[in-house]
Amino acid sequence: MSEKISALMDGELEAHEQRGSYAEVAREGEALEAWRVYHLVGDALRDTALLSVGFSARMEAKLAEEPTVLAPRVPQAGSRPRWRVLPMAASLAAVALVAWVAFAPQSGMQRGPEVALAPAKPPGKPAVEAPAPNVPLPSAAGDYLLAHQAYSPRGNLQGVAPYVRTVSESVRRK
Amino acid sequence: MKALACSAVLAAALFPFGAQAQYSHDANGWLNKIYRATHTLSYAGTFVYQQGEHSESSRVTRQVDARGDYEKLVSLDGTPREVVRFKDEVKCYLPESQTVKIDKRSGGRSFPALLPAQISSLGENYDIATGGTTRIAQFECQEIVLTPKDALRYGYQLWADKASGMLLKARVFNEKGETVEQFTFTELSIGRGPGREKRRATIEARSKDWRVEQAAVVPANLADEGWTIRADIPGFHKIAELTRTLVKSRPVGQLVYSDGLAAVSVFIEPLAGRAEPLQPGLSSIGAVNIYTREVANHAVTVVGEAPAASVRRIAQTVEYRRPQ
Repeated sequence: MSEKISALMDGELEAHEQRGSYAEVAREGEALEAWRVYHLVGDALRDTALLSVGFSARMEAKLAEEPTVLAPRVPQAGSRPRWRVLPMAASLAAVALVAWVAFAPQSGMQRGPEVALAPAKPPGKPAVEAPAPNVPLPSAAGDYLLAHQAYSPRGNLQGVAPYVRTVSESVRRK
Repeated sequence: MKALACSAVLAAALFPFGAQAQYSHDANGWLNKIYRATHTLSYAGTFVYQQGEHSESSRVTRQVDARGDYEKLVSLDGTPREVVRFKDEVKCYLPESQTVKIDKRSGGRSFPALLPAQISSLGENYDIATGGTTRIAQFECQEIVLTPKDALRYGYQLWADKASGMLLKARVFNEKGETVEQFTFTELSIGRGPGREKRRATIEARSKDWRVEQAAVVPANLADEGWTIRADIPGFHKIAELTRTLVKSRPVGQLVYSDGLAAVSVFIEPLAGRAEPLQPGLSSIGAVNIYTREVANHAVTVVGEAPAASVRRIAQTVEYRRPQ
């Protein structure tokens, strides 16, 4: 996998291979780690100033705190062009594009995946929406719950009752 | 250790004898009363646990005597699973996998020491108010509502027996006011619990040949190993840091953060030797959200009774730097 990411960064992959590799990076696994490490190595070689510790987490938190800009709007005759209603999405896309250009392989840049990197949220949906579960409970969920439960102050008000989750049917089935 | 001494002093200050009448008219006083009831009463009852589409009934008994406090939870639906707690040790009896899972809190800190010092500081993160009175399982109950001051934590609606302070119903709700999970007693008798012979898990005799998974827990300093976790969620403080075994003796780092009511655990374990591939993402059961991601060849699993966004936010701050 690391070799693929390396090749991707050097612009040595075919378009279809690129897509697969980007999807792999987006899955936050080993590939993303390799992507980060190689960029770090590249930065170090080029003597680029490093971002401070926790930059990405702070950036993410800041973005999450941004107010809802994508407000739904009643269509009106002669209304302004659509792009003016979406400054936030546009600026996000711009940031992503700049980031893509900045971090893109230096040679052989073909059709970039910038569009895929900056999915604009559909207008009308609140920008800050609670994330929805997207994977099944881990097979060890019962063990995590058991280990966690002992330190939860909830037990001070409810005694042993919250342990019902630990042995719950929905956990046990996993 | 210092924090422990502090909480002991605060506990003594918060719970002098006879404080009950003085406090019983305000919401904080009610929380103290629930706390005291949870830790002093013997009782036996049946409650229903609801989360999403799922609901199940359990029998719960608690007996306090000179030896300590003993609690037992028996599931009434499906296979009869049992959870038994005596002092700091919890045993889960799982008949289907013929397994007994044993967990013991580290540091010898007894369970009750956690909250009293924090009841007064709960007001920093929650608006606490009393509501109306309702009858639940034949008990006249006082309603207490803890509304979170931000979207980083859930809200709690509690109903406690006016006479004893025993918690009869607890509802956890999200920022839209929707129920995330709910515990409701349908029947309860307060007083001396079952006799000593009944105290032993009924399942215990049958479990002699079962597999025993006992967790070993030792205090730890994960920062020394290169991990930084900046759980910069307002109101959440680190309350425990340890290394433990989990699932077939894998060593796992665990850090626990709490705002006094909700708690979030961060588990860090090496990916090497893992039987199945890691599935990064979010899952949930009731008020507990679980967020998994991979950091530096380790699985990071954040488990907490907090909204998904909070759990994910804590997970995102986990970083690894090779120790110098």
